Amino acid sequence: MVDAGADCLQVELLGGHMPTDVERWKSEVYGNEIREHLMEFAEQGWESIPEDEHDAWFERFKWWGLYHQRNGQESYFMMRIGTPNGVLKPGQTEVVAEIADEYARGPETNPEFGDGYVDWTTRQSIQLHWIKLEDIPEIFEKLEANGLSTQQACGDSWRNIVGNPMAGKAPEFVDAWPVIKELNETFKGNDDHSNLPRKWKVSVTGSPDGSGQGDINDLALEPASKEIDGEEIRGFNVRVGGGLSRNEPRLARDIDVFVRPENAAEVAGGMSALFREHGDREDRYNARIKFLVDEWGTEKMRRVLQEEFVDFELETAGEDIREQYTYNAGGEEHGDLIGVHEQRDGNYYVGLNVLVGRMGADDTLELADLAEEYGSGEVRISQRQNVMITDVPEDDLDDLLDEPLLEDYSPDPHPFMRGSVACTGTEFCSLSIVETKNRQVRYARWLKENVELPDGVEDFHIHLSGCTASCAQPQIADISLRGMKTRKDGEPVEALDIGLGGGLGENPQFAQWVGQRVPADEVPGAIENLLATFEANREGGETFREFIARHDEAELEEFIEPKETSYEDPYMHNTKMTWYPYAEDDDMDASPAPTDGEGNSIAPADD
Amino acid sequence: MSDRLLSVNAYTTLDLLDGEAEAHEFTESAYAVVNATAPRKNPDHVKLEMELDNAELEHLPAHADRVRLTPEQARTIAADLEKYASKVEANLDDSDD
Repeated sequence: MVDAGADCLQVELLGGHMPTDVERWKSEVYGNEIREHLMEFAEQGWESIPEDEHDAWFERFKWWGLYHQRNGQESYFMMRIGTPNGVLKPGQTEVVAEIADEYARGPETNPEFGDGYVDWTTRQSIQLHWIKLEDIPEIFEKLEANGLSTQQACGDSWRNIVGNPMAGKAPEFVDAWPVIKELNETFKGNDDHSNLPRKWKVSVTGSPDGSGQGDINDLALEPASKEIDGEEIRGFNVRVGGGLSRNEPRLARDIDVFVRPENAAEVAGGMSALFREHGDREDRYNARIKFLVDEWGTEKMRRVLQEEFVDFELETAGEDIREQYTYNAGGEEHGDLIGVHEQRDGNYYVGLNVLVGRMGADDTLELADLAEEYGSGEVRISQRQNVMITDVPEDDLDDLLDEPLLEDYSPDPHPFMRGSVACTGTEFCSLSIVETKNRQVRYARWLKENVELPDGVEDFHIHLSGCTASCAQPQIADISLRGMKTRKDGEPVEALDIGLGGGLGENPQFAQWVGQRVPADEVPGAIENLLATFEANREGGETFREFIARHDEAELEEFIEPKETSYEDPYMHNTKMTWYPYAEDDDMDASPAPTDGEGNSIAPADD
Repeated sequence: MSDRLLSVNAYTTLDLLDGEAEAHEFTESAYAVVNATAPRKNPDHVKLEMELDNAELEHLPAHADRVRLTPEQARTIAADLEKYASKVEANLDDSDD
């Protein structure tokens, strides 16, 4: 089994350890060296990459946010643009739309989404597909001219920093955006923090809603206050060791540290350095800091941080405001940022639902135009794959809400639409076992047409992940769906494992896995039955999460009754074995890949 | 039911097999996952691992089994698998006649 991650090129080049300053110099050129090679290959074309060096080069390209697409799609790349805290400054959304329009087009189109589309991700970043190597120089030039970067969006380094996308504008207990900016400027591309044992995911939240989802990050700064020398100081409590992947989900644990905003970078850097020095470099499967927290416990973690990695006396934890958390909390209030909300400057932001996070280039251009016309031109991306138009004066709200784009990307969507999150899936991703985005679109549509939610249930989160990598964060949804296979009528078909009752909030909880290998076409029926059971047995106005929490494993397993319904699934067959699931001739042999810079097939003639 | 122990993605060797666990007191059957792999950094052994779907198990707790193999051992298994694959194939082809 292959695991994604970056090789340590500088160690390869140097054959081992080097003195720190030389290593730093070498590291500095590491990213630039790769870029030089990347540009050379781009000039000369796909075939200039020696075939026996493909794997090594694809690893290195990840430094620049490029992931080679899967089997059958050779020579095409997914490109990830890292936007700290999901902030798109005025003008940037338009640039993303234009790049998608011109470059994110492939040899086939998606039946739901067409061609040339933008994916907003669960880490508040942007992904574009079907990118040709030969177009990289132009794309990078355009991105960089507009303050956008693909650097280190992937690999064993600081990943895109997340938080409440509305930091700086929504009401906050403490200002998160200056901290996020400082962390991004200090640590992104910083050689001392670029060859970590594994990926490093950081969340900084200042708002009282918990929307930074700190609990599932390696390092979480969450709003807190502490009395120090008679003064109430607002800052952050520090939690460490959250993360979802590989069937070992962990919540970030409280290490009893409070940090002032001005010291946040030093403590975050200290934690990153601790991870760098003490994380497991022998076994990648044991490398995330969540396992180190398991092993050491929080007291030792704090002690080592204090003794070895920070230069001042750490404060003990302050008082948090977790009791106010609503984001993804499965509670009474909407657990997302959709809809019209007042900013602290008296203007408004409007959160729009983007079903499974995918938006056509045209629509993205329109989004940019509306943001320009009604707001300040800024757009923000949330971890639920949705977008916000910011800075809209109250008087202009009605006109904005009347805009046709908002019919397709609604600020008041149906719960099944609003609750859907899906990863990339077999359409492009080499890890996935099943089709995801289009499937979740079909699920959401069918559920909306055919299933009533019990009274008062305004939110229902269904997250569909194509494999155990958990990019769609299934463990923190009401219904978690995860790709598998099963046999139906003698044939192998796509199936889903089912989990129930996950969510964040004051007391986060991972989903309980209660069903395995449910055929994909029987999952909507299973959800229908589940909701009927919920309605019939609901006590008072309890939420779905509460309902699930008060039943034991055996009872929950009984709740899963898969059944066929009017829902039709045209992709039950093993879509990972196709070259592209939506091609008319999807047989691997029919793939045009690899193609040249113009998209013409250069596949060997004997195929 | 518990969560799976083995990660399952497109690189997992086989994700849909008919599996069985035999004990003195009972035999259980369930769908199974089998995976052959090696550590990514400094691969010093081959790992062969298997997991039966715990949803279908009545007696056994959720578990995954694995063995560590030297290259020679891995090849020995591969050779035996090849041999028996040919044997089974030949028999199945014969019975088609």
